[in-house]
Amino acid sequence: MRSISLFFRSVTKSLILVTLLSSAAVSSASAQDAAAGAAIFKQKCTACHGLEKAVVGPALKGIDTKYDEAWLIKWIKNAPAFIASGDPIAIKASEYSPAMMSAFPELSDDDIKNIIAYVKVGDPKPVVDPNAAQAGAGGAGANDGISNFMLFGLLAVIIIAFLVVLVLNKVIQTLERVMLQKKGIEVEEEEVIAKDRLAGLKKLSKNKKFIMFVVLLCVIFLGSAGWKGMWETGVHTGYQPVQPIKFSHQLHAGINKIDCQYCHSGAYSSKNASIPSLNVCMNCHNYVNASEKYDGKTSPEIMKIYNALDYNEDTKVYGKNTKPVEWIRIHNLPDLAYFNHSQHVSVAGIECQKCHGPIQTMEEVYQYAPLTMKWCINCHRETEVNHKDNPYYDKLIAAHDKLKKGEKVTAAVLGGLECSKCHY
Amino acid sequence: MESNKKYWKGLEELQNTKDFVEKSKNEFAESLPMEEVLNEAGLSTVAPRRDFLKALGFGLGAVTLAACQKVPVHKSIPYLVKPEEVILGIPNYYTSTFNGHSVLVKTREGRPIKIEGNPNCILSQGSLDAKGQASVLDLYDVSKLKGPVLNDADADWTKVDKFIQDELLKAKNAGKKIRIVSSTVNSPSTKAVIADFAAKYPNTKHIQVDAVSYTGIIKANENSFGKAVLPRYRFDKANLIVSFGADFLGTWISPLEFSRQYVSKRNNASLEGKKMSRHIQFETGMSITGSNADARLPLKPSEEGIALLNLYAALGGVVNGSKPLANNPNAEKAIALAAKELSAAKGASLVLSGSNDVSIQILVNAINALLGNYGTTIDLDNPSYQYAGNDAEFVEFVNEMNRGEVDAVFFLNSNPAYEFNDSKSFTDALSKVKLRVSFADRKDETASLCQVIAPNHHYLESWGDSNPVEGYYTIVQPTINPVYNSRNAEQGLLIWSENAVTDYYQYIQNNWSKTVLAQSGTTWKDLLQKGSVTLPVKSSGVYSFSRDLNSVVQTIIANSKNLAKGGEKAIELHIYQNVAIGDGKTANNPWLQELPDPVSKVTWDNYAAINPKFAEKLGIAELDLVEIKTDKYTVILPVLLQPGQASGTVSIALGYGRAKAGKAGSDIGKNAYPFLSLVNATLQTAVSANISKASGTYELAQTQTHHTIEGRNIVRETTLKNFLKDPTAGTGHAHVNKYDLWNEFEQPGHNWVMAIDLNACTGCGACIVACNAENNIPVVGRDEVRRRREMHWIRIDRYYTINDGENKLTKEDEISKLENLDNVSVIHQPMMCQHCDHAPCETVCPVLATVHSSEGLNQMAYNRCIGTRYCANNCPYKVRRFNWFNYWNDSRFDNYMNNEFTQLVLNPDVTTRSRGVMEKCSMCVQRIQAGKLAAKLDKRKLKDGDIKVACQQTCPTNAIIFGDGNDPESEVSKALKSERTYYVLEEINVKPGVGYQTKVRNTVEV
Repeated sequence: MRSISLFFRSVTKSLILVTLLSSAAVSSASAQDAAAGAAIFKQKCTACHGLEKAVVGPALKGIDTKYDEAWLIKWIKNAPAFIASGDPIAIKASEYSPAMMSAFPELSDDDIKNIIAYVKVGDPKPVVDPNAAQAGAGGAGANDGISNFMLFGLLAVIIIAFLVVLVLNKVIQTLERVMLQKKGIEVEEEEVIAKDRLAGLKKLSKNKKFIMFVVLLCVIFLGSAGWKGMWETGVHTGYQPVQPIKFSHQLHAGINKIDCQYCHSGAYSSKNASIPSLNVCMNCHNYVNASEKYDGKTSPEIMKIYNALDYNEDTKVYGKNTKPVEWIRIHNLPDLAYFNHSQHVSVAGIECQKCHGPIQTMEEVYQYAPLTMKWCINCHRETEVNHKDNPYYDKLIAAHDKLKKGEKVTAAVLGGLECSKCHY
Repeated sequence: MESNKKYWKGLEELQNTKDFVEKSKNEFAESLPMEEVLNEAGLSTVAPRRDFLKALGFGLGAVTLAACQKVPVHKSIPYLVKPEEVILGIPNYYTSTFNGHSVLVKTREGRPIKIEGNPNCILSQGSLDAKGQASVLDLYDVSKLKGPVLNDADADWTKVDKFIQDELLKAKNAGKKIRIVSSTVNSPSTKAVIADFAAKYPNTKHIQVDAVSYTGIIKANENSFGKAVLPRYRFDKANLIVSFGADFLGTWISPLEFSRQYVSKRNNASLEGKKMSRHIQFETGMSITGSNADARLPLKPSEEGIALLNLYAALGGVVNGSKPLANNPNAEKAIALAAKELSAAKGASLVLSGSNDVSIQILVNAINALLGNYGTTIDLDNPSYQYAGNDAEFVEFVNEMNRGEVDAVFFLNSNPAYEFNDSKSFTDALSKVKLRVSFADRKDETASLCQVIAPNHHYLESWGDSNPVEGYYTIVQPTINPVYNSRNAEQGLLIWSENAVTDYYQYIQNNWSKTVLAQSGTTWKDLLQKGSVTLPVKSSGVYSFSRDLNSVVQTIIANSKNLAKGGEKAIELHIYQNVAIGDGKTANNPWLQELPDPVSKVTWDNYAAINPKFAEKLGIAELDLVEIKTDKYTVILPVLLQPGQASGTVSIALGYGRAKAGKAGSDIGKNAYPFLSLVNATLQTAVSANISKASGTYELAQTQTHHTIEGRNIVRETTLKNFLKDPTAGTGHAHVNKYDLWNEFEQPGHNWVMAIDLNACTGCGACIVACNAENNIPVVGRDEVRRRREMHWIRIDRYYTINDGENKLTKEDEISKLENLDNVSVIHQPMMCQHCDHAPCETVCPVLATVHSSEGLNQMAYNRCIGTRYCANNCPYKVRRFNWFNYWNDSRFDNYMNNEFTQLVLNPDVTTRSRGVMEKCSMCVQRIQAGKLAAKLDKRKLKDGDIKVACQQTCPTNAIIFGDGNDPESEVSKALKSERTYYVLEEINVKPGVGYQTKVRNTVEV
């Protein structure tokens, strides 16, 4: 009996400790840096650098030990100028490749420090969650909103369990006492020990400042967790469902450098970028079958195309027993938002990567941008309208120049923030 | 001077009835059960509070649980092999033909979603009527058959073909007759197929019968000029139109073509040339045509023939038996006036009659010949083939069946069990026929009497052609694979007659290359692209009339006497078609059922229209049920008090009371076909009947006084005389209060505005249906319309005003003049969101869900709206609509969008709105955005006319012009600069973006 109650007590102690520690970990700031750095890295650096793999430029793992931070900041900000200034290390570094490191004057020192922090830490190891993987295969993607929800749920369960344990403890104590009293055995002693043990807690519980502190801590913790959870509800950045065919954009767009438009032809002319129909795949894959990697047999992934089309490799004949490929849509906009690819790609001349991230490096595609309205609007606020050589804009620009001379003509200035631009 | 003229939408508004005043004050049509909830029983008892808390707790839990579901997974399934012409997200347009009019079919990802007029069409010139707009919905009709039916069981085509061929052979060998019964067929290929069929089975005869027949005109022309044709009327050449009951803007022969021609003599361009045609209408019920006339006179059906006789006499025609209209001095005076004017407009006038009586039509021919109209406004050498039905042939066919001579009958686009006036004798006779085949797409009244139903394709699924008028050929091409297991009727006939070509597509191609393509030198591909072929017009000959009119006059007088039977409860019954439902073939189309009648504004029902004064005499009030009785048929219908209705008459619309139309159209209203009577071998729409009050009342779903604007004068009109003196006459520019709550702001880019010409708008309602299709507007049904919850973004307000010579009825003097409700004139005013620059709705929205754009649009963000409905309350034009239900996901609204199949008609570029949000005209912002994007992609300036909004595009009379007000060269800028322009409720200074042009009436004082 007593051993159980002692065990519970020790468990409760350790639980309190864990809770405090984890809250401390959440509030710590160092992880934030690496995360911010990762975002910048993905946006600015991945075109030429990998962490572990040399791409155009060298692999960056361990760069922080090779060069000191101040040097790196100068180098990243404006490498050509740094080399021209005659810095010996810079000149040596530039000999790595004939391609010149681009200048990134838009990055602040903090940004660069963040990138370095990220390079130090590297990508977080993906947590293998069998449920999530299964859900992904079945179609449902594991996403942040839900895992957060589960995390908070878990915390709540722990807290409730803790309370239950406390109550049970009390009950056990009382029962023990009653039993002992009945037997007439030295109750007093136990009582004293118990009193001593609880004396510290009791004293604390009467300390109003301490209570205030605890309450405040709880409010801050739960409040910020709730706030964060709400902001991330429905935001699926990083959504990476398992697709029916292991299609690699890294291979097709990155290594083979196939133009995006070759497959996603709609992006240039229509609202939908459109997933290519299988006849587009077959333009290459009726002879490219990667058999060199599979002992002379057609790659099982390419085989999936053939099966879908009921294509006989030997006779090169298409059959009738076709079944379409059911891709899982990654970028989902709500029905109430109207988005047109051609407006952004053809008219504004925006790179695919701006919204879809370093797609040419993605083995499996994930959602890069948050696709929130805030994200749309921020871009509309910042992006200048590509009005050069487009007579459609002539009148608008002229009228605008008259009104506000000199100001940047962003999409927002030409009404790009108005409701009916996207909602009708 | 007109500024104090009183306009009113309904009698209750004119008389300011208690009920009306109350209703217009109330926010809701029905009283809310607030009192019940707040009374003692509701609050003091214990259980409700507990229940409330329980419900609250359960609700919270349920919502929490429901919110915890996983994010749904969306699949993207690309084509296996994408058709080259399909680019996802970009519509394709195909030419096709609806009802003889060449149309463009907009398809998205392989499904047709909108029908638009083809600018190449010589009849419609790019416009389309309400029925054409609505026809796309019939494709997605769930009431259609999914495959052929043999002896009431589902069958396959081979079984059906074998059965029919066996029966046909038996009939052929027995020497029995085979009959193909159809409504008018003007398709050259169908005709050829039937001819081939008849060659194989020589006892075959093709009988054409139209639900509403024009046999009278055809027979009269045969009698008068030896040409059994329906002439082509040229309203664009007529300076004076005198019509006796011909509803040529609504339903008569070719209303779409006629509207365009008619308005070309009355629109802004014509007025700027100081010219306007004059139109005098004599009619029984108030039709859309009568509502547009410069002078309209109520006339009983029995008086029509006499009036025409008098007119003929007044024009100098020699006729015995003309006598004055004793009981209608106004009409008598008008006839004299019309005669005077007609003589002055010889060769540029048009006299019409809507009657199907051969004698009356012969008399009309005589009058037109006397006026020299043949060769100018009436063309007999380039006739119309839109109607060719022969009533007598059908009657003879019924007799043949009765005699047991017919062994096989095929019904093609014809439903005599519903449409024939004596359906019982038809049904009895039909049971004697061994093989009965219907090509109907559903189990309609006739098809359910047939052994075989071989469902025909919808026109959007099939190949076909049409020859609506001489020298004009159009092609029907499919825009979607057949949805159900249906088949072209022609293909069936080809198979059963063992034709060498059994593929109808191939057959049409062969037929065309032999005939029209060879004659015109067009290729098949060009034809498909253009949609039609026009052959050179024959010169229109001059015809003179030389028949003796004596027998005609005797018949007319005899018929008139028969109609005007005396008696206390005797009435003359006038059976007509309304604009939306017509002959009832489209009764299952919810868009058309919910389209308010242009004049009465009634939806979802037909009714007995009676003159208010006459009703009072009979002791009948609005909403009463009345029994209309002839010796053959009796029907009980609700009463509608119709100002302008001829006293002593009742009008009832055809097309209702379908027993087997489908989900939306069955058992709506009452059937009026049995009232038609066969007189001198043609079916007459007028008959003598008795009226009596039946027990009970019935509330019609009428939109006329919904969205009332508190008696403010928002329509403006003037007369041609005043207009010529002063083009700004009647615009009544009010004093505008310069005080303004809102800041001025620039619209540097575009400024989307609209101009609506009240003189061009006929009120036909095509815009309403076009808007329905373009903007995914829900159909709410009869009950919801009664609760004032119709969702149409554009409505057409119809205002009455009383004509009393010079002394127009004024506000001050209204009650004393209520007597004269026969003599009213009508103005139609399309009303939609005015996109005010200083919009009152925007100011009161607590969540900024409706705000203004820099392009002058009043935007509505549905996902932001929380449904306070403040905006609707604050809108001076009452154009905002609230979604009381999830119309697309609610089993109570099963007739339209709440169905996966029907949902395919939705426009994917427009959100379907959810329950609890406000919506309104967006000025087709999706079209604006698409037009701008097209210009940007082509790197060119946006041209005027690149963007057309749905209502503008379909308008048969170009009454609506939309465009960029910042472009001084745009059509709309020019239109708004017209002196006739005024803005509705200008005085409240909300700066609307829609300008109206005054109605001009070409009145001549007697």
